[in-house]
Amino acid sequence: MAYGFILPSLLVFAVFMFYPLFYTIYLSFFDWNMIKPVKAFIGIQNYIALFQDPLTYTVMKNTLAYIAILLLLNWVAPYILAFILSFVIKRGRGFYKSMFFLPSVISLVVGSILYLWILNPVSGPVAIIAKFFGITIPIWSKTQGLVIVVLSIITTWKVFGYNFIVLFGGIGGVPQEVIEAARLDKVPLHRIFLDIVVPMSSATGIYVFVMTIVQGLQYVFTPIKVITQGGPDNASSNAIYNVYQEAFTLYHTGYASAFAIVTMALFVTLLIFEFKYVEKGIHYEN
Amino acid sequence: MRIDKEIKWHVLLCCALVLSLTPIVFALSSSFKELSEAYSNVFGLPQHPTLSNYVQVFSRLPLVQITTNTFLIAVAVTIFKTVTSTLAAYSFVYFDFRGKNVLYFILISTIFIPFTVTMIPNYLTISQLGFRNNIIGVILPQLSDATGIFLIRQAMRTVPRSLIEAARLDQTGHLRILGNIVFPLVKPAVVSSGIMFFINSWNEYVWPVLILKDKANFTLPLALQLFISSEGGTDFTIAMAVSVITMIIPLVLYIIFQRYIITTFTSSGIKG
Repeated sequence: MAYGFILPSLLVFAVFMFYPLFYTIYLSFFDWNMIKPVKAFIGIQNYIALFQDPLTYTVMKNTLAYIAILLLLNWVAPYILAFILSFVIKRGRGFYKSMFFLPSVISLVVGSILYLWILNPVSGPVAIIAKFFGITIPIWSKTQGLVIVVLSIITTWKVFGYNFIVLFGGIGGVPQEVIEAARLDKVPLHRIFLDIVVPMSSATGIYVFVMTIVQGLQYVFTPIKVITQGGPDNASSNAIYNVYQEAFTLYHTGYASAFAIVTMALFVTLLIFEFKYVEKGIHYEN
Repeated sequence: MRIDKEIKWHVLLCCALVLSLTPIVFALSSSFKELSEAYSNVFGLPQHPTLSNYVQVFSRLPLVQITTNTFLIAVAVTIFKTVTSTLAAYSFVYFDFRGKNVLYFILISTIFIPFTVTMIPNYLTISQLGFRNNIIGVILPQLSDATGIFLIRQAMRTVPRSLIEAARLDQTGHLRILGNIVFPLVKPAVVSSGIMFFINSWNEYVWPVLILKDKANFTLPLALQLFISSEGGTDFTIAMAVSVITMIIPLVLYIIFQRYIITTFTSSGIKG
């Protein structure tokens, strides 16, 4: 009976999650282009090629840059906002919660096209305001470094609200009296946040930390794909986009599979980190 | 004194809100402008409101078909995900069976598997089944959802076990218990998961872009992509009209169900 209830989900996961996972590992040991009838076994050649390709290092460097910016904008910033809404202000909580969440229900393709126009270096509203102050907006989609920042901001527009709501829930577990007492003792706000709130909501904090990295890198795929296609000169490509590019533009199926597995290995490391701390936190809270 | 301090924060928060909501207002306002006005009157509301952008969209693209596709996919995905997640969550909470915790752990861990790891084999599977360039190919891999199982399970854990045990003593079947006792108590979590399934499917881009090739089979985000060029392009007011059409349904759903949604996701934070 129990299995009967789980079976539908299990079937879907087996066919479209677990089987593909193992098949991708299998494919990573072959030279194949999805069309050829025969896959050529080449052992760990794809992995060796991956570590020898300078593009891998560019892409991984970009991936780290994305991670740093996404963490700042989608983990640190919403954490602080959730703290302010929970303990610093008294009125308008419900209003702010629903308004900050609102952009997360909108498609990232819509987000990409809106920002493409708002940040248009010639005729966009931001350029017009900047021109008033005598500043010219660089052509960000063609500027190394800056392109990663802008694509991260576009992604933030969608992800911020969701992370904020989850963190708000986590902070809700911190007793109000503790904060009140600290405020009566005139403890500065940033100390209350860092010394009381963050440690007492660490389970949710680490969960959002990991999700910001794992899902953030996948979310940022959409603006990369629709705005820059990884350019200029691979300056905006990340580990996720690069796999897509290798698999569906260049048809390096085996190599793309190897790259996907290496990316996942990085994520699994994070996952172990997450469960080691978060699951402990959950048991503690229960 | 206290009030003054609070006002400072409200000003800051409202500035942040204006920044995040302005793009939506701009899209709405520009979609009713002629292209020339969009360039001459960037910030103001439309002086000569026009529907010509919307009319042009419908003449250039099979938009009725595209919206129908998006809707059909979202409805199918929502129904399947909601049913399979609710059933799975129920069995994780109220049944005891061997390997339960391990299985739950494995299913939930899939949240951390990036789509790049599964997309090549899934693409091959869908191709072999002959569902490439077909909305069924978009729907098939999305018939269950780990986050849904997680959220609904969290809600079900708050339903007292004694209620279920009493019903079992009366020989009530599990499906009936789920429908008559558990479901009414966890309805907010199920409804908001369902709404999020719908919205996420409506907005989905990565998988449909791999599977759907002909414009007639496109979903709204794919159609919108046709209007993107890195220079902004001459179709920009039309792109705004397509943007508005794409975001209107999720926004309306969110406005109707926001209380459910906010509560469910806030509580997901409490439990990690």
